[in-house]
Amino acid sequence: MNDMLVGKPLKRKEDQRLLTGKGRYVDDIRRPGETYAVFVRSPIAHGIIKSIDKEAALAAPGVLGVFTGKDIQRDEWGSIPCGWVVTDRQGEPHKAVPHYALTPDRARYVGDHLAVVVAETYEQARDGAELVEIEFEELEPVVTLAMAMEGEQIHDLAPQNLCYDWELGSRAEIDAIFETAHHVTSLDLVNNRLVPNAMEPRAAIAEYDSGLDSYTLWSTSQNPHMLRWMLSGSVTGIPETKIRVIAPDVGGGFGMKIYCYPEETTCLWLSKVIDRPVRWTGDRSESFLADTHARDHLTTVDLAMDKDGTFLGMKIDTTANMGAYLSNYATSIPTYFYATLFAGCYKTPVIYSNVRAVFTNTSPVDAYRGAGRPEAAYLIERVVDVAAREMGMDPIDIRRRNFIKPEDFPYQTPVILTYDIGDYDASLDEALRMIDYDGFPARREEAKARGKLRGIGLACYIEACGVAPSQLIGKMGAGAGLWESGQIRFNATGTAFVLTGTHGHGQGHETTFGQIVADMFGIPIEDVELIHGDTSQVPMGMGTYGSRSLAVGGSAIVRAGEKVIEKGRKIAAHMLEASVIDIEFEQGLFSVTGTNKSVTIKEVAERAYVPLDYPEGLEPGLDETAFYDPGNFTYPAGTHICEVEIDPRTGVLEIVDWVAVDDFGTVINPMIVEGQIHGGLAQGIGQAIMENGVYDPESGQLITGSFMDYCMPRADDLPSFRVGYTCTPCTHNPLGAKGAGEAGCIAAPPTLINAIVNALDIRHIDMPATGEKLWRIARDKIAAQ
Amino acid sequence: MPTVSMAVNGKDVSGEVEGRTLLVEFIRKNLRLTGTHVGCDTSQCGACVVHVNGRSVKSCTMLAVEAEGATVTTLEGLVKDGKMHPMQEAFRDQHGLQCGFCTPGMVMSTIDLLRVNPDPSEAEIRDWLEGNICRCTGYHNIVKAVQQVASGDAA
Amino acid sequence: MDMNGEKVINAPQALVWQALNDPDMLRASIPGCQELERTGENGFEATVKAKVGPVSAKFAGVVELLDINAPESYRISGEGKGGVAGFASGHADVKLIPDGDTTTLVYTVNAKVGGKLAQIGSRLIDSAAKKMANQFFTKFSENLEGYTPETSSKAAD
Repeated sequence: MNDMLVGKPLKRKEDQRLLTGKGRYVDDIRRPGETYAVFVRSPIAHGIIKSIDKEAALAAPGVLGVFTGKDIQRDEWGSIPCGWVVTDRQGEPHKAVPHYALTPDRARYVGDHLAVVVAETYEQARDGAELVEIEFEELEPVVTLAMAMEGEQIHDLAPQNLCYDWELGSRAEIDAIFETAHHVTSLDLVNNRLVPNAMEPRAAIAEYDSGLDSYTLWSTSQNPHMLRWMLSGSVTGIPETKIRVIAPDVGGGFGMKIYCYPEETTCLWLSKVIDRPVRWTGDRSESFLADTHARDHLTTVDLAMDKDGTFLGMKIDTTANMGAYLSNYATSIPTYFYATLFAGCYKTPVIYSNVRAVFTNTSPVDAYRGAGRPEAAYLIERVVDVAAREMGMDPIDIRRRNFIKPEDFPYQTPVILTYDIGDYDASLDEALRMIDYDGFPARREEAKARGKLRGIGLACYIEACGVAPSQLIGKMGAGAGLWESGQIRFNATGTAFVLTGTHGHGQGHETTFGQIVADMFGIPIEDVELIHGDTSQVPMGMGTYGSRSLAVGGSAIVRAGEKVIEKGRKIAAHMLEASVIDIEFEQGLFSVTGTNKSVTIKEVAERAYVPLDYPEGLEPGLDETAFYDPGNFTYPAGTHICEVEIDPRTGVLEIVDWVAVDDFGTVINPMIVEGQIHGGLAQGIGQAIMENGVYDPESGQLITGSFMDYCMPRADDLPSFRVGYTCTPCTHNPLGAKGAGEAGCIAAPPTLINAIVNALDIRHIDMPATGEKLWRIARDKIAAQ
Repeated sequence: MPTVSMAVNGKDVSGEVEGRTLLVEFIRKNLRLTGTHVGCDTSQCGACVVHVNGRSVKSCTMLAVEAEGATVTTLEGLVKDGKMHPMQEAFRDQHGLQCGFCTPGMVMSTIDLLRVNPDPSEAEIRDWLEGNICRCTGYHNIVKAVQQVASGDAA
Repeated sequence: MDMNGEKVINAPQALVWQALNDPDMLRASIPGCQELERTGENGFEATVKAKVGPVSAKFAGVVELLDINAPESYRISGEGKGGVAGFASGHADVKLIPDGDTTTLVYTVNAKVGGKLAQIGSRLIDSAAKKMANQFFTKFSENLEGYTPETSSKAAD
């Protein structure tokens, strides 16, 4: 009999190989006869390609070929798609501008893929790429959001560089509310551009088998089945049966590795042209230039209140940057994963939002940890804090007054979503207790005596996870459902393979899913082996993002397990000479109700494959697959509070305490969940005070293009974190789990900025609130005194 | 092309390299020891840290020919008789890794920290890790792993 | 990147002007300049080795003299490609104000860089450009001592 594993901080199964250098990342894989591809990227932000001279490169040692977009076009390969149609205010679909593997006509950002050199060695390919001469007719680059709609048109399809002008809610209704409101708090916000920077750069190896006329693509992907689907269905026309995508160990993704990218698409094409395996590994400079970036919004938010601080209505106006091309899901991020969260934890009755998405000569922007929800949480929790300041209210009181209460669930928000469950007061109470909120004034005084400005800030966030209920997102314009598959395949000796279409790249799926299946069948976790990241093994899948793996993928595995148990009951009934309805299953034992007659799952598994005496109608095998489509999103929520100290003489900020209280529903492995919170917090803190992707506004050159200039959070920038939980289990999936991957990254920016403005006693500061900005503010305040 | 010889993980190895070949390229490509990773091209991230003559070195900052005659240890070489080094154990115990990509550098670097400072404070650990970037863990559990080894407690 | 400044040079305007149009003089004064050849009346081809922070590259490019108003002012315009290191292009407006035996040289530079140079070296560009300008004027002033136009390549043309 097993101890139950669910809920225990089990050490990870993945760690043995990863800690001993035996992990297998794409760049670790070698193929016989392989060749190397190096891309020739645009050094300018915007320009028409006049000519590409391949001659010198072709003559260089070891070079096997030099190819441009025109070469791929001859094979009629199509555009990399954007799979989510956003319908604008006039009822028109967004401007679906083409995005080719190698750009044939015009360079649209620094780093745009214009040619590729293939050679026998990496060094020869790199040397060859240096010799490719491209002549441009330079065009004025469109760099900033503010200038996007007035600048040179980037795509023929998109006048004014407008991808869409979209709204949610009624402008007339919101205008009427604002006319009669007691007070309106208005705030202009920048949501700074981020570069995801997973530590493993993207990489791909493509191999063509002319005997089978089929392709294998090793890719650093979070989403191998979707990658295969896009490559087959949209780009190449090659049947899905002839493309195998393998995503082995992947070194972090954070959303940036969900997508079908030009480099891997080009490698796939090259593998048949060269008829040898073609590999490409990006370097960090390429990651900065050509990975998808994130956020990059300019927003004005207005919050209308009555005289007691009750929210009456909220109005949001956002310009969102799409970059130079549309990445696969780019259109959905500043709309359906952003504006649908504007209710936050509050009963704001009327909400109106208008989002204009624009093209610029910058790297494409798409989902990154949180994806729309951090932007939503930031504007809500900032404007609420400023409202409290303007209304002379305590920031805790104004939140409590407007919270959706436990008795209000299920709660229909005015912005499409229906929250199933939550208890926002509970997590706020716990966070206040953990930080000793009442003791803050004394701590502030003590800090003042040391010459430090101490501030406290909080945020009560909510997110929509467990992406996603297919019917609901279909109404929003999604081009695919976001169900997940799970398969449990028992072997004759009683061990089990678990197959999932999600993909773990740091989240510990092998452990968490192992815990679930081990508990379900009462078998040791060592007997459960997870298979993921290979389209030729896993039936189908929609990948990992949007904190969906456990809530959706885990639920599919539970459903498959239930089918295995049903099948097992039939086999056990035969073995025990009883009727199926009398067979019950608990902790690995099938037994006849009311007797001590039983058989183990191991015995049943063996008999499933040794059906020598099966009666008619009993099918051999113990291998079941389930597809799970969630009924709703899940809604993790919580309160984070932090305290900071700022040295007014230097601007140096120290985060002195951080309390995270989250409601993720049922927690399977608290050690892994805590790790997810820590990592999300680091990324959110990075956005708040350090990270900023900056293009030179005149030339469009990326000037934060390395770890020397793009400020990644390091160990000495961060504190240790204190983590607490409340729990209202999700009402609509079999695990009760909501998802924990993105919470830290969503909660951190408003929490930290609220603490900083509190410390400095100012109304607002834009992210990233760098030491220099803090120092200037502190200096000016001292001078004014 | 010059030939370079060194002892890696207790074995004498040699190979032909270009003058420009970095030590990390020699380790990954010539020796096929892929536990050492490359995460940047400006010597910032620290995923490639190995021990050269007992000290932690970013193997992307050194040419292979500079390691002529040196004793080099990589993450793979820490395992003795099938048993992980206490720092590797501690990273597992404390969940000090997620995707595992920065991990080789983190483990090699923190072992060297405890060589020069056997009982570091939290601030000293964080300061030492300035040259190693992790995007997954927020460093919290990496710090705990180092503290576990320094205190001599197993989890 | 914009940069401007002025420099008093210990030579009369006419001599400074001649030196500023003399490829040998320019080659000897531009930091890192390995080659500078006249390709037309007002055009040159040049190879310059430059280092900005961690990026070091050899730039091959063309230089053109425009808006020539001898001996008072011209615009020197150029662009160079440094392979994977990126490119640099820009112009400098140069004005010579005579003051007896000395000349005040006033310059305004507008330049842009791209590729790896911008990506990795941009935060260092301003200081690197200032340093190069200072090196140029120091060297140029030194070379002017004992300079006679007859030694120039123009005379040999």
